[in-house]
Amino acid sequence: MVLTGRAGLLAGLGVVFVALVMPSWSGVGVVIGVVFLVCLVDLLLAGSPRRLQLSREGDTAVRLGEPAAVNLLVTNPGRRIRGLLRDAWPPSAGVQDPPHKLDLPNGERRRLTTHLVPTRRGDRHADRVTIRSIGPLGFAGRQGGHQVPWTVRALPPFNSRKHLPSRLARLRELDGRTALMVRGQGTEFDSLRDYVPGDDVRSIDWRATARRGNVVLRTWRPERDRQVAIVIDSGRMSAGRVGDAPRLDHAMDAALLLAALATRAGDRVSLLACDSAVRADVRRPAPEDVLPSFVNALANVDAELVQTDFRVVVSQVLERLGQRSLIVLLTGLDPAVIEESLLPVIGPLLKRHVIVLASVADPRLTELEATRSDLIEVYNAASAARTRLDRDRVTAVLTRAGVTVVDENPDQIAPALADTYLALKKAGRL
Amino acid sequence: MSTSVAVGRGAAESWRALRKPLLITGVVVLVGLIVLVFSVASTSGPFSPDSTERDGARALANLLKKHGVNVQGTERLDNATEPGAGKALLIGPNGSLDRDDWQRIKAAGWSHLILIRPGARELDALAPGVKTAGPVLSLASREPDCDLSAAVKAGNVTAGGTTYSAPAGAKACYGDGINHTVIRIESGGQIVDVVGTSRSFTNSELADDGNAALALNLIGTHQELTWYLPQWESSGADDEGSDGPPLVPPDIRYIGWALAFAVLVVAVWRGRRLGPVVMERLPVIVHAAETTEGRARLYRRARAHDRAAAALRESALAQLHKAHGIPRRAEPSAVVATLAARTGWDPNTLYEALYGMPPQDDAALLHLSDVLDVLTQEVRHP
Repeated sequence: MVLTGRAGLLAGLGVVFVALVMPSWSGVGVVIGVVFLVCLVDLLLAGSPRRLQLSREGDTAVRLGEPAAVNLLVTNPGRRIRGLLRDAWPPSAGVQDPPHKLDLPNGERRRLTTHLVPTRRGDRHADRVTIRSIGPLGFAGRQGGHQVPWTVRALPPFNSRKHLPSRLARLRELDGRTALMVRGQGTEFDSLRDYVPGDDVRSIDWRATARRGNVVLRTWRPERDRQVAIVIDSGRMSAGRVGDAPRLDHAMDAALLLAALATRAGDRVSLLACDSAVRADVRRPAPEDVLPSFVNALANVDAELVQTDFRVVVSQVLERLGQRSLIVLLTGLDPAVIEESLLPVIGPLLKRHVIVLASVADPRLTELEATRSDLIEVYNAASAARTRLDRDRVTAVLTRAGVTVVDENPDQIAPALADTYLALKKAGRL
Repeated sequence: MSTSVAVGRGAAESWRALRKPLLITGVVVLVGLIVLVFSVASTSGPFSPDSTERDGARALANLLKKHGVNVQGTERLDNATEPGAGKALLIGPNGSLDRDDWQRIKAAGWSHLILIRPGARELDALAPGVKTAGPVLSLASREPDCDLSAAVKAGNVTAGGTTYSAPAGAKACYGDGINHTVIRIESGGQIVDVVGTSRSFTNSELADDGNAALALNLIGTHQELTWYLPQWESSGADDEGSDGPPLVPPDIRYIGWALAFAVLVVAVWRGRRLGPVVMERLPVIVHAAETTEGRARLYRRARAHDRAAAALRESALAQLHKAHGIPRRAEPSAVVATLAARTGWDPNTLYEALYGMPPQDDAALLHLSDVLDVLTQEVRHP
């Protein structure tokens, strides 16, 4: 049962009535009786919210930060319903609309649209739909709820996709699909063709020339069909906030750019998000399915506050990869963690595979180190310098062990990782 | 498409679910009321015929009942103003009534009035001539010292308390010779007993001496005894000196109740939410630089000038090495010589800044930091 402002007004008028007309117990009784009677009549005449039939349709997935629309179809099989309808979602689903006004005669159907702009990644489940049906007099009404399940998945935003065209252009240069004919781009033998004036003489295959009688040229192309395994550390090191998002989100961005690039380059990409257990796992999807499957798998991964178990990571990766592959490990450069848990177990991977370790650097550290106007800031600068020195040291250790380290600021990590990939491809190290 | 499921309970369901609890609550309340009505005493407090406290008089009431007296305890003035011919009225010690009420009791025509520790106004109305005397008698075993047969038969009694002075012709007992605690006046067929020693008849003292006998003899004269305990009330609207216009209009309480009802209605209107609050798990927010800042605070608290200076020097050296292409493992002297040649700084200052003793106080650390900053700035912007 609900009351409206009119009921409050009626009771207020009742006070005036008692004060001016009937200052007695019977006056008070009359007021209470009238308010009760009016509200009761209204309550009994109000349409039943519980008998409504509701269903949903609309968007099921949306990129983080972009608007989604979910429609609610309300059918009224009973008495006319007038009042309010609230489509409740969790706060981070970002509902834009105030409660909908509802005026639904018998047998009709309405479509109400709820606009959402999710503020966090992951699945957002619709909560209860509450309908308040006010009676014809407008004094009281009934309220009821419906559970109409619906899920909108907020996908990783993939902001770094703006870097994709420039990297694809570089890839095409590597690929030889551009007009440039530069020898040495890529390292995989492709085919033999006749020499055309202007070709690089260093590419002439003399043995084939001798066999064929005319000058024959070897052509090359970049390696294809290589394995790229992207491993995202979803442990505590990814929970730290750099800028306005956790490290994990920056890592996802970089992973998506790399996946898009590597797929265009003809490589097979797989994804693993792991801390003490596997959180997301996509194994060699079809090329056209890479990005959708990746964003879907990553949508619900959140940083867990546990120490990543790199033994699990290594065994999972080894189980997936047969041939020589590129392993991209997106984690933090914490000296203690790297030295104590990663380096002791990374040996089996280093033997067969190429490893790139990408880490999101914190611009705040640079800032702390640069400002030194008073004592507190000097101590901050000293501490930041120590952190950076430790990172440099562990980077050197990793580089000596044969791991390529990419340590960049959040806005640079995705293009830097893509560039590293292109450089490795160019050098034929895959 | 997905379809809906109504949540919560409908009216019929709510009624079905609420029926049993409501029934049980109703039965409990009803039983409680019945028990209350049948068990609660009609009177309470000192000298009440239903009170079993030390200052109650349940023992006396029971004793009277055993001797065939029908005791009716009451706190209502109406019972004391009923026609009382052939009956006895006992008026308890506390409470206060106004003159009109005492006159109404007198007008009821009780055959026997027992006034327990009466006040001045009560005496004026019901026992004219008897006055409250000054001294309060201590509680002690006393002889009757009079010719009241009820007292003589009872013998010694533990008496004490308020004393009264008797008019001529009254029988006055249990006193110090001048003032008395028990006084009987007989006039026109009506007997009035004034009893100052109320404690003698309470539960704690009734068994002592001849207290019980005195009580029976004094009080148990009639078959019907109304035991009235006056309260702090009066039936008259204006007692004395309260005339003039009332401070608040008499209608204000009706308006107040109507207002309270209006507030309740508004509260129900504003208080009802449109559906429950939606809960959500929130992620933990930890800034990545938190550990670094924490370490800086530790340095500061421990006054670790040496560690801070070492970190700053190492960092500056790393930048200088990179900028000037000096090998990492170069000797300090070689580094200083190269830097002095490139920057034109004094070699001693450079050596002191890069390899000197750790600073001993905050000022030295600040100075070192400034020097290193200038040095690396020059490297960055030569």
